[in-house]
Amino acid sequence: MSQKDNESLKEDACEPDENDQKTEETEASEPDGVEPEPVAMTRKRPEAKTSEHVASQESLGHKEKILESSLSDGSQTGWNYWGSWGKSLLSTASVTVATVGYGISNVIEKAETSLGIPNSTELHSEAKDATEESQHFEEGNTHKGEAESLLPISGALGMLSTLSAAVQNTGKTVISGSLDALEFIGKKTMDVIAEGDPGFKKTKGLMNRNSTLSQILREAKQREEQQQISTDVSMATEKKSHYGLFFDEFQGLSHLEALEMLSRESESKVKSVMSSLSGEKLNILKVEVEQLKEAFSLAEFCDDEEEEKRDEEDFTKEITDLFFELHISTKPTKLTQARNSTCELVKSLRVQTVKADKPDEGDGQVDSGDAGQGDEKSVEDIHTLAIRSLAELTAYSIEVFHKAAELFLHGQKEEVLAVDRAKALSQMTIVLCKELSSLSKDFATCLTAAGMEEKADVLNPLITGVFLEASNSASYIQDAFQLLLPVLQISHIQSRTELTQF
Amino acid sequence: MPGIGAIGARCRHRPRRRPVHEWESGGEASRASGEGALETAIWSFQFRLIVLGDSTVGKSCLLHRFTEGRFPGPRHAEPTVGVDFFSRLLEIEPGKRIKLQLWDTAGQERFRSITRSYYRNSVGGLLVFDITNRSSFEHVYDWLDEGKMHAEPFQIVFILVGHKCDLETERQVSREEAEELASNCGMRYIETSAKDAINVEESFMILTRDIYELVKKGEISVRDGGKG
Repeated sequence: MSQKDNESLKEDACEPDENDQKTEETEASEPDGVEPEPVAMTRKRPEAKTSEHVASQESLGHKEKILESSLSDGSQTGWNYWGSWGKSLLSTASVTVATVGYGISNVIEKAETSLGIPNSTELHSEAKDATEESQHFEEGNTHKGEAESLLPISGALGMLSTLSAAVQNTGKTVISGSLDALEFIGKKTMDVIAEGDPGFKKTKGLMNRNSTLSQILREAKQREEQQQISTDVSMATEKKSHYGLFFDEFQGLSHLEALEMLSRESESKVKSVMSSLSGEKLNILKVEVEQLKEAFSLAEFCDDEEEEKRDEEDFTKEITDLFFELHISTKPTKLTQARNSTCELVKSLRVQTVKADKPDEGDGQVDSGDAGQGDEKSVEDIHTLAIRSLAELTAYSIEVFHKAAELFLHGQKEEVLAVDRAKALSQMTIVLCKELSSLSKDFATCLTAAGMEEKADVLNPLITGVFLEASNSASYIQDAFQLLLPVLQISHIQSRTELTQF
Repeated sequence: MPGIGAIGARCRHRPRRRPVHEWESGGEASRASGEGALETAIWSFQFRLIVLGDSTVGKSCLLHRFTEGRFPGPRHAEPTVGVDFFSRLLEIEPGKRIKLQLWDTAGQERFRSITRSYYRNSVGGLLVFDITNRSSFEHVYDWLDEGKMHAEPFQIVFILVGHKCDLETERQVSREEAEELASNCGMRYIETSAKDAINVEESFMILTRDIYELVKKGEISVRDGGKG
């Protein structure tokens, strides 16, 4: 991929003086330390070049490259396609580390906990020094410095999804200026990562740190957007079938982010309440909070063993009923409607594939698509529709969770226990995930039927893609569900306080 | 340091597709190197704008008009719950597109505490009142204070929007006093109508341009897309 991208970029470069640009590219890495370009160009830069720079430079950018080259081997080959979950797991790492942006100590702490590395205190205090340093630096440079230092940096981010990127990100976001501090942290973190997690095996565990889910998704979207651009230049018709783009289009990302904000806010409130209590009261509360947590540990939802296909009413009814149990003043209409129209879509696709034997009979299709070739949907079209539907449903599911969170926190007080809400939500998560899985099966069936003429190497990736995004969707929904835990905890504490003057 | 400092989501630079900005003079422009083609990027910045104002002043309608080009009509009038989202690309000058992520907040008092959680993520805000509703105008100060307070330590660029200007006959707030209030608070003022599509584009355009100018000057720092 990287190779191809590189070429297409070069080809499409609108500036004619390609040679000039090339020289600039090499020059560019020399003068200043906050130089982001090496990072931005990661994918394109050949190995050899990297090490050469490393040897000759001491500046920040190159420190990072060291990190990168030592880590990138695995990361660059395996995870090129965003869709692969493995990659996003890694992104979590980068993102987890980078999220904070307020203090290095915090970041280090996070990196540490993520990676399960002990010696925190030492690192911590060192990091604090670094923070101070960086702050001095920043204060001195605020007005002019900020824009200059941050803009280029910004160019570099987002593209980074490997663990090495985590290191860079940490530095970059947190201390947009101080090279020394940055260098130090980069080195330190690097050591830490290398020691603690040589095979990146633990990265999986990071998925639990769902506070950064939206960032993973955003990263994905950006990557997709970029890919799209690079192909788009010549082929405006090449319609995107990228999950992340669709997801954002349906405002899934925004809702997820907002939900994360509420979740974080609630989490810190819970902590501060807990720390203000002691003795008996604290113990009682601990037990209750723990109970909520239990309700949030999803029963391993088994992929239904070909459970009879439920029809539309069932899903709508199920979701509506569960929603009712939450006692909040909104309805998941958007979600159920979207789901129903997806079912319609699947049906009409089935009709198409049945009719495929008689190609002259090309009606009864959904006209929503941009097939551009009559009514018949090509396998690519079906794939796009499938991805789009999955993204839509996921986005709306997350919207539902977000709305629920808002209303738990600030809606009218209801006579309902947080634990019951948690159970209903947990049930809802299961229903949603099952639904996604069953829809993906339907889409796969359609694809198989429509793609009888296609070669396996055309068809299989498409089908795999659908299943992959379906399982990603389910993960997103489950992660979003987990974000609700602190929300319910604080909502529980609040209602409890009201009742008993706790 | 008011107005300075990188904050997650407020204002985001397009990563990896850095257009060549004349103002990123020096290294940056030349560094764009092989990515020149990407000048045609979909967008180069994302601004997060929050829309504030009393209930029923027409915030959601304004956003529907702006993002979908249609007026939802009175029957659509379900009050917003918490916050809703819209987004749109805006071309502020040829080739320079900015993605606006619009946070449509609930005006209802009971949601006030929710919306508070969201201020901090916005770089700009539309402060909307209904020119036919005196009290919505009087509450502008409250909204402004609230916005400023909860956005701390960051600064939100506001524009004052007098909405429903199609209902001239029912006007309760004169243009002059609205302008005065706006200038007292260092805001611009514009009158709009989502129903008749008057000044809707303009209001967002003005605000976006103002923010963009500040970003250019470095008074608002930019955060890249990988962050929030």
